[in-house]
Amino acid sequence: MLCTMDNTAQYRRQRDARLEPDRGAVSAGAAVSLVGLHKSYADIHAVDGVDLVIAPGEVVALLGPNGAGKSTTVDMLLGLTKPDTGDVRVFGQTANEAVANGTVGAMLQEGSLLEDATVGETIAMIASLHRNPMPVAEAMRRAGIEDLAKRRCTKLSGGQKQRVRFAVALVCDPHLLVLDEPTSAMDVGTRREFWQSMKEFTDAGKTVLFATHYLDEAEEFADRVVMMRAGRVIADGSVAEVRAAASGRTLTAQVPGASDAEMRALPGVSGVEMRGTRVELDCADSDAAVRALIAGYPQAHDIEIKAVGLEEAFLALTSEPDGSIR
Amino acid sequence: MKATYLALEARRALRNPRALFFTVVFPVVLFLIEASLFGNSKVPGAPVTYTAYLMASFGAYGGFMACLNGGARTAVERSQGWQRQLRLTPLTPRAYLLGKAAVAQAVALPPILLIALVAGLFEGVHLSGSEWALTIVGTWLACIPFSVLGLLVGQISTAENMQVYTSGLMILLGFLGGILFPVTMFPNWLANIAKILPSYWLADIGHGPTLGYEQLTTAIIVLAAWTVVLAFAVARRYQRDSARN
Repeated sequence: MLCTMDNTAQYRRQRDARLEPDRGAVSAGAAVSLVGLHKSYADIHAVDGVDLVIAPGEVVALLGPNGAGKSTTVDMLLGLTKPDTGDVRVFGQTANEAVANGTVGAMLQEGSLLEDATVGETIAMIASLHRNPMPVAEAMRRAGIEDLAKRRCTKLSGGQKQRVRFAVALVCDPHLLVLDEPTSAMDVGTRREFWQSMKEFTDAGKTVLFATHYLDEAEEFADRVVMMRAGRVIADGSVAEVRAAASGRTLTAQVPGASDAEMRALPGVSGVEMRGTRVELDCADSDAAVRALIAGYPQAHDIEIKAVGLEEAFLALTSEPDGSIR
Repeated sequence: MKATYLALEARRALRNPRALFFTVVFPVVLFLIEASLFGNSKVPGAPVTYTAYLMASFGAYGGFMACLNGGARTAVERSQGWQRQLRLTPLTPRAYLLGKAAVAQAVALPPILLIALVAGLFEGVHLSGSEWALTIVGTWLACIPFSVLGLLVGQISTAENMQVYTSGLMILLGFLGGILFPVTMFPNWLANIAKILPSYWLADIGHGPTLGYEQLTTAIIVLAAWTVVLAFAVARRYQRDSARN
């Protein structure tokens, strides 16, 4: 145990020493800066004016239905697609420079692995192409696939494949990791394991941008959620902010003797539903509503305040013709 | 850095037993069958035996098929999204495509050598040292445009329909170019068309050392021109293809 740690610890010290000097430079600029991105295919505006700044160390979820422009945005960020107009910067570099310098690593949506190579060979080959790769063994350890080194890539389960691709993305020792729907082929258990191994990366202060369909994933793993629809960013904020922006919180309580009109008059309440003594208040500001409720109606009991899930917020925002909440 | 990459590429090429059978064993078997039909009789009006003639023909055939298939196999990793993954490394498009062409060329050498070996050891083909060298090395070098053509097929086709392209080209270039069928038996107009094809001049370079070259300079110019034009098409296609398909 100790001897295996020795190598890793030594590597970490080297890596940290390497990271230290440019940390100042990094904090001056953004990890990702997308300005006025537009991209059309034929007459479809896949991306129709995206501005996005991500600070170093942020873990950002890019959320949206199919065709929202997530993958096109990711492709432009990685230099795989050229924007029609607009500017892409990754730690101050162009997309292509960032790729060439190993500043950015990526797990692409539909990218599969070489069928006729082993896991170890694949990762070693990718590592050999990069200028400052991390040791192959370290990348495999972090992705949790040390035991698969000699396995042919065809003989992997869906979850194992994704973890191998994670190691491929990781081996260039990037500052920014971009993941396009990383867990779409995984079952619930495998998804959990995957995000567990991701945590080590984000705990080291690295930046992550991941596109996803799964709202619970965004809720659980992202610091910040950026929602896209029809090629535009329609919401951007912390998970709590985005959720609140969509429809706030629901307050339910038993309030004997209260009338519908009285409840409507409470501050921060936007809608009321009453069933006998039980009231259900839709709140834009549940804090103000609960304070006023307790002050004015001391008999109120069984008070519950429930946040609207990201899913409801997401549906509300993405289905309205103009759901802009910025 | 590129050594690890090329080493894996070469190992991968050797790992596909079915492809290896068709590129190496198949042309040898075809050669043996044809040689047994015509035996050691002389080619009319030429100083060589049919076996020597067929050795050059099938060497060219084996080499060009290996190059075409080797290049076209990039369709598989392109369809799998592996090319997109490689675009996220410092590997330049030029290095990637040159590497692929180099591997296709390397795979073309075994069938050419093996046919020469079988012809020399078991089929009684006797050539001078320089004739052997010119036949083998000349055929191998003249296969270069076919590696590039294979790459173009790989960039245009998908993993599913790649075989259709390669077999179509095999028939077109193999028969019309006079590798599998002597051009002397063509009507005039068809023989003239054949002379535009790179395979016609590949065959000339293969047969040249024993039969005499038809026009060595023309052969080199035509093959070089095909290489340049095809390489240009591959580069353009690769540049445009970075988006998902």
